[in-house]
Amino acid sequence: MAEEFWRWKENRWTSPETTWKGARTVTCGVDVGSVSTQAVIMADGELYAYSNMRTGSSSPESAEKALKWALEGTDLTRDKLAYTVGTGYGRVNVPFANRAITEIACHARGANFMYGPTVRTVLDMGGQDCKAIRCDEKGKVVSFLMNDKCAAGTGRGMEVFSELLQVPIEKVGELSFQVDQEPPPVSSTCVVFAKSEASGLLRAGWPKNKVLAAYCSAMAHRIFTLLERIGVEKDFAITGGIAKNVGVVRRLEHELGLTVATPKVDPQIAGGVGAALFAKTLVEKGKA
Amino acid sequence: MKEIDVFRQWNRKRHEYATAWQKRTGGKVMGYFCTYVPEEILHAAGVLPVRVLGSHEPQNVTEPHIFAMFCPFCRDCLAQGLKGRYKYLDGLMIAQSCLHIRQAYTSWIKHVPVGFSYYLCMPHKVQSRRAYPYLRGELEAFRKAVEGWTGKQISDKALREAIAVYNENRRLMRELYDTRKQAEPPVSGEEVMEISLAQQMVDKREHNEALRKLLAALPRRKRDRPAGTRLMIIGSEDDDIDFLHMVESLNKEQYPATFVVDEHCTGSRYFWNDVPEDKDALMALSRRYIERPPCPTKDWEERKRIPHIMKLARDFGAQGAIVMQQKFCDPHELDTVAIRKELEKQGIKTLFLEFDVTVPIGQFRIRVEAFLETLKQEDLF
Repeated sequence: MAEEFWRWKENRWTSPETTWKGARTVTCGVDVGSVSTQAVIMADGELYAYSNMRTGSSSPESAEKALKWALEGTDLTRDKLAYTVGTGYGRVNVPFANRAITEIACHARGANFMYGPTVRTVLDMGGQDCKAIRCDEKGKVVSFLMNDKCAAGTGRGMEVFSELLQVPIEKVGELSFQVDQEPPPVSSTCVVFAKSEASGLLRAGWPKNKVLAAYCSAMAHRIFTLLERIGVEKDFAITGGIAKNVGVVRRLEHELGLTVATPKVDPQIAGGVGAALFAKTLVEKGKA
Repeated sequence: MKEIDVFRQWNRKRHEYATAWQKRTGGKVMGYFCTYVPEEILHAAGVLPVRVLGSHEPQNVTEPHIFAMFCPFCRDCLAQGLKGRYKYLDGLMIAQSCLHIRQAYTSWIKHVPVGFSYYLCMPHKVQSRRAYPYLRGELEAFRKAVEGWTGKQISDKALREAIAVYNENRRLMRELYDTRKQAEPPVSGEEVMEISLAQQMVDKREHNEALRKLLAALPRRKRDRPAGTRLMIIGSEDDDIDFLHMVESLNKEQYPATFVVDEHCTGSRYFWNDVPEDKDALMALSRRYIERPPCPTKDWEERKRIPHIMKLARDFGAQGAIVMQQKFCDPHELDTVAIRKELEKQGIKTLFLEFDVTVPIGQFRIRVEAFLETLKQEDLF
C-alpha cells in the first residue's frame, strides 16, 4: 500500500510515576472528536494513562476502542473507574460515559491543568473546527468563539495538504521553515480552493516547502482573526492536534506578538483531561 | 395542548388556511414583506394580509434573480414565489425596510406577476418629526390604491374598527408574553413562536379568539420540564422553530433552558406597540408605525432599539441572550456589536449565531450547550 502521508501516529501512554492503586478516585474522560479520539484516565487528578487514536465511522466504537487501548498493559480495569465524562463531537455517543460535557468547557479545564492556572486564553485547534476560549484561573469558560461551517484552519485541512504535497504530517511544520523567504499566504480560506491554489503554485514551480509555508501562514492568519474577535489575554495556550505543528504555532506567535505556553503533555489530550477532571469534581461533590 | 395546537396548525398549514379563507369569504389575500406594512388598512378593506415567509428548504431557483450574498431569508421568500407556493395571492406588497427583501419583492412581481402590487414608501428616517406627515401622506395614497383595487370605499369607521381589532390582538399578545415573566413560564419559546407566526398570517379576529381561549387555559398549565436558564433571543427575522425546539429540548437535567422573551420582527417587534388614540385615523397609524420598536434599518441616529431590548431583558428576567441574525444581514450585523456590549455590561452574557436557510443543529448545539455551561457551571468547579 502506498504511504499515506496524512496518517498521524496514534499513541498511548502510561505514567511511569503515578499509580491508580490506593487512589481515592479514578476517573476517565473520553473525547470523541471528528478526527481523533482520546481516552484519558486520571488517579486523584493526576494523569495515569491515555490513548490517542483516529475516530472511526462510529462514535461509540471509537470510544470503546480508545478506552480499551488506554487500559492496555495496565492492571486497571474499567469497573474501577468511578465516573466517566464524554466530550467532543461524539460526546453523547460514549456508551460507558456517565455524563456529557462540551469540549469547550473540557478544553479550558484541561488547559488549566496542562499549562497552569495562569492560562486565560485557550485555542483548541481540532480536526474540523477551531475554538477560541477565554477562561478564568480555575479553567472556567468566560466566553468562546468558534469558526463557522468550514474546515479551513483545522486539522483536516492540514491532512489534505500533507497528502497533496506528499509530506508526512508530523514534518509539515518543520519543513515549512526551510524556505529562503516567507511567501505570501495562500489566499483561499476554503480547504478545497486552497488545495487547488496550492496545485497551481506547484505547477508554477514552487518548491513543496514554500507551498507548506504559504499554507501554514494562511492558517495562522485565519486563526489570528478569530482570536482578535474574542481578544487574547496572556497566558495563551493551544490545544488540539495543530498545537503540534510548529509551522502554524510559530507563525501565529509572530502575528500575535506573544509566546504560546509550552505543554507538559500531548496537547491533543486536553479535552479528555478536562473531562476526567470534571468527572473527579462530580464524584467529590456527590453528583456522581 | 389543544389551545396551542390551533396556532401550530395555522402556521404549518398557512397556505391551506389562506385559500380556505379566500373561498369562504370571497375576499382578497395580500401577501406582504416586512412588518412595516399597515395591515389595518387592508383589514378595513376586507383583505387578508399574509406575511410571506420562507420554507427552510434548500432550493435552486433564486440564483439568477438575487445575489448569493443577500440574506438567506429574502432568497427563501423569493423561492416560495418562484415555486408557486403563493399562487393564490391576489396582491403582493412591501413597505420599504431593506434592500435585500425589496429585491425579493421586485424579482417576484417581475417573474410571477400578481393582480395588484404595491410598494409603500415607509420612510427610513423615522426619528424626524417630518416623518409623521410624510407617512400619513403615503398611507392616504395606499388607502386610495386599495380602494381602487378592491372597488370598495374604506370608511373612517371601518379603519377605526380595524385599528381596534389589531390593538386587541397586540394587547392579548402582550398578555401572553406577561405570563412568561413567571418563574416557571406556562409556555415555551417555541410555542410562542408558533403563535406569533400564526398572528402574521391569519385573520386577526380568529387569532384574537384563539388567544382568549389560550389565556383562559394557561393558568392551569404546567410544563413537563423546568424553566431552567431564562433566555432572551434577539435579532432579525427568525421563524426557525427547529432552533428554538433544539434549545428547549436539550437534556433537562444538565441544560434546562427556556426562551422567555424575544426581540424579532417575527415576534415582539411586530406587535409591541398599539395604534394611539388620534382623531385622524391615518395619523394614528402613521404614529404607530413611526414609533414602533424599530428595525435596525430605521434605528438612526439615536439607537432606540437598545434601551427597548434592555427593558425587555430586565422585565422578563433574562439570564442570557442569544443574539442571532440572518447571514449577510448588514443592518443587524451593525447593531449586534452595540447590543451585545450593552447586554454584557448589564451582566447578561450573549451568544452570537448566524442563521441560514437550514439550521445546522449539531454545530449550534455545541455552541448553545457551551453557552449554557458558562451561565451555570457551579457543579463542575
